[in-house]
Amino acid sequence: MNFLNIAMLGGVLAGSIPLIIHLFHKSRFKVVKWGAMHLLTAVLRTNQKRIKIEQWILLAIRCAIPILLALMMARPMWQGAASLLGNRPTSTAVLLDNSYSMEAGRAGTSNFSLARDETQRLVGELKRGSEAYVFLMGEGTGLLDESTRDISRVTQALDKVGSGYGVARVPAALEFVAGTLGKMTEGTRQVVMLTDFQRLSFPASEDKAFGQAVDNLKKLPVPPTLTLWDVGVEVKENVAVDSLDFSKLMVGVGQKVQIRANIRNYGETARNDFRVKLKVDGRDKATSQVLLGAKAQSQVLFTHVFDTAGSHVVEIETEDDAVKADNSYLASIAVRDKLPVLLVDGAPGATPDDLKSETGFAQIALSPFAAGKVEQADLIQATVVTAEALTARQITDSAVVVLANVAKLGDAQLQALELFVQQGGGLLVFSGDRTDAAWWNGAFGKLAPLPLGSMAGDLKEGAPSMSLTSQRFENPALEIFNDPQNGTLSDVAIKAWYRLKPSERSGGPEDPVVLARLDSGDPFLVEKPCGEGHVIACATTLDAEWSNLPARPSYLPLIQRLCVYLASNIYPRRNLQVGEQLVGFLPVASAGKTAVLTLPDTSTLEVPVVKKGERGVVEFPQTRRPGLYTLLPAGGTPIHYVVNAERSESNLAKLSTAEITTLAKTHGLQLVRNAAEFKALDKVQRYGHELWKWALLLLLLLLFGELILQQKFARGKGKS
Amino acid sequence: MAHVSDFLKPSDLQRISNLQVLARQVVEGFTSGLHRSPHKGYSVEFKQHRQYVPGDEIRRLDWRVFARSDRYYIREYEEETNLRSTLILDRSGSMNYAGTSAGGVTKYEYATKLAACLAYMMVHQADGVGLTTFDTQIRRHIPPRSRVSHLRVILDELEKGQPGGETDLGDVFHDLEAKLHRRGLLIIISDCFGEVANFIKALAHFRHARHEILVFQIWDRDELEFPFKSWTQFDCLEQEGVKHLLDPVMLRQAYLENLANFRDSLTRGCRRHNIDLVPFCTDEPYANGLAAYMTRRLGRR
Repeated sequence: MNFLNIAMLGGVLAGSIPLIIHLFHKSRFKVVKWGAMHLLTAVLRTNQKRIKIEQWILLAIRCAIPILLALMMARPMWQGAASLLGNRPTSTAVLLDNSYSMEAGRAGTSNFSLARDETQRLVGELKRGSEAYVFLMGEGTGLLDESTRDISRVTQALDKVGSGYGVARVPAALEFVAGTLGKMTEGTRQVVMLTDFQRLSFPASEDKAFGQAVDNLKKLPVPPTLTLWDVGVEVKENVAVDSLDFSKLMVGVGQKVQIRANIRNYGETARNDFRVKLKVDGRDKATSQVLLGAKAQSQVLFTHVFDTAGSHVVEIETEDDAVKADNSYLASIAVRDKLPVLLVDGAPGATPDDLKSETGFAQIALSPFAAGKVEQADLIQATVVTAEALTARQITDSAVVVLANVAKLGDAQLQALELFVQQGGGLLVFSGDRTDAAWWNGAFGKLAPLPLGSMAGDLKEGAPSMSLTSQRFENPALEIFNDPQNGTLSDVAIKAWYRLKPSERSGGPEDPVVLARLDSGDPFLVEKPCGEGHVIACATTLDAEWSNLPARPSYLPLIQRLCVYLASNIYPRRNLQVGEQLVGFLPVASAGKTAVLTLPDTSTLEVPVVKKGERGVVEFPQTRRPGLYTLLPAGGTPIHYVVNAERSESNLAKLSTAEITTLAKTHGLQLVRNAAEFKALDKVQRYGHELWKWALLLLLLLLFGELILQQKFARGKGKS
Repeated sequence: MAHVSDFLKPSDLQRISNLQVLARQVVEGFTSGLHRSPHKGYSVEFKQHRQYVPGDEIRRLDWRVFARSDRYYIREYEEETNLRSTLILDRSGSMNYAGTSAGGVTKYEYATKLAACLAYMMVHQADGVGLTTFDTQIRRHIPPRSRVSHLRVILDELEKGQPGGETDLGDVFHDLEAKLHRRGLLIIISDCFGEVANFIKALAHFRHARHEILVFQIWDRDELEFPFKSWTQFDCLEQEGVKHLLDPVMLRQAYLENLANFRDSLTRGCRRHNIDLVPFCTDEPYANGLAAYMTRRLGRR
């Protein structure tokens, strides 16, 4: 209980006035010499006790009236157990939704700017010495690293906050804030969440988690008051670029690339002639128009030929609407002009280009122009080394390593190779007569997709050969053989092969996949992901010793495709999801220096390049903001990274008013819809409920009660 | 020596003379109408003839009728009866109450004036009038006489007495009954405070002795309406040291109900014994009350 006008409380003394009047009257009595005493005595005898009680009741009521009047004028506030902390500083945590759905709003002002202004005002109006902490739900991080009493720091930082972040994870945000509140010190605590109540952020499936998070907050040693603030207006019309698909295979200079954009209309009006634009490296390249029905989805296909190598940014852009963040979709595409492939020859010939050597055919198949002395440039640049001469540096410098009939590698070589594959490199392994099954199944076991079994087939002249099973290929490397025009693998005759023991595990993301099989059922090509890279093993030789594969027309596309496929795995990845770590590999020479990273808001950042193994590595974990990040190494070419947020945020559907009310009620939260409501609620929470209305009511009741009782008492029971 | 004018102002006397005619008729009602005298004897006023029966005094034979008709007739005369009325005046402490509305007149003063008025009227119409005053016991008993000089004796006694002490009508009336040798009209002027049952019982006693009874009950307006507002200490007029300090407002209703009960039981008791109970209030002129009563009484005949 607190009083706004405490001076008036002195008026309580007025409660003694009726008492004084009573005593005064009683002492200043009249004396009457009375005759009809026998009438009076009888009445007194029967009524004295009752009259005394009635007099006390009346006196109590009369005393209560001025006391109540004084209390009422002192404006009492009821705060419950919240004690007398009205003007004391508070610990305030604000959860500000800056997911990109908050960009919607009335013309001119987005819901986010509204929410941000309210947050600024809320924080700015905190009592002196209060602690404040603002958590940005879209970013999933605090505005400042920790709570502060320097309110101006918070308001200044809020000036720079923007929206356009990914989905707001409400339970996670609440859990985080609970942790921060635990470290705050003031006795009065409040948590205010300003959000647009997008249906996506409050799914029914997360209701339990939400309740759990709220409970955790309430279970804090000093539980805060929880207020939900429904900010802004609901906007229904929104068109978003949902996703962007392009070829999974590596893109070379001059190659045609198909770029497919999925456009979704979340609104309820159909959009005719909806314009979609392709931009490459910021320049308009093509425009297309699509027909978008209400709540419908559509695809737009663009083709593009990159004429320079390096990192490129592809952007699909649509017409403007309420939410800008989902009007474009970016992708980073690495275009190569060279693909270094290292052929490790286990059975070298006399000269490197000796067709009798294990890698002779493969070298020609990979770099046919160079072999034919034609002036055209090969995409793939094949280098041949012997197993003994293989160095770690050679491995790091190439995109794909091919082991052909290699008996075994040294420990250092194997270690370098493992690291190479772990970091996204491609490894292609062919068996042969020199293959050491013991080493394969032992030291090489980590990389080998399947353990090696016994040898099968017969190399004798005239012995029957085995062919490949005709099948539909799922792997991008073999996809072209699904079309007979591109050649076939079924005419390959294989005389001898190793039996690859099928794995007991299959189907998992880390499990080996059989890409092609022999008619006997034995695996022919097996792929296994290994770290960020992939390993593909072949059951037969790379040269013509065990099969007629090198002589078939399908040999060249098969080998080239396998190498391109293994090299397509651009690592570190350049298309990231919000929150994923951005990693850049730079030449080892740049280690120790810094690189410049340009962030989506065009601010730049110097990031250190750290030497890790044979590389310089840049790491940047704070990719909370979606958009384009450009890493520019000193004296190098820029590398583009694109961070995308989940596009489900584009669905602006909001919880209905009833649902929001239910949500607040179910979890025992306060709900406000504007600043005035919040202020009123805050006043109540801070100072309590004003009680003068109730006091007035009680006062009137007492006044009437006194009148009625007096009448009633004077009438008496009259029994004598 | 007291004179009538000590009690009755000239204006009162004027009004009383007007009452006289009424009073005469009322008294006639008592004497000849309702309670015919049982004593028949010699008188100037002839009443009737009746046939002789053996045992009649021979000297009462009307010889003149005998001479004319040769029959024995007895000549009867109406007795010239004087009404023997006794004023019984309550001199108890409670009669000393003087309320605010009565202008300082105590109930006793009022009662003495009423008694004086009645005595005056009685004597002036040649009726016998006596006076008995009492409180806890009989203080003075003046037997009824009809001489004009007797009025002075009564007035003297009225002037002398002062009220005090308690009332117990029952015992007092019992004693009084022995002193009233002949039956007559008893006019009790009192507030009748006390045990109602006792009082009625005593009255019944009188009635049994074939007395005619009138009760003039004297009230003060305060006693009837209990108009007190502020805290008041009520000191008992009859008993020393009995006092009650109270808020009269709280008690008024109960008091009035108690009063009504009291009056009701008194009225019912009187009616049962054919006794007229006439209330007088000290703020009203007694002549008015008297006139009203007499008119009512005549109307009843």
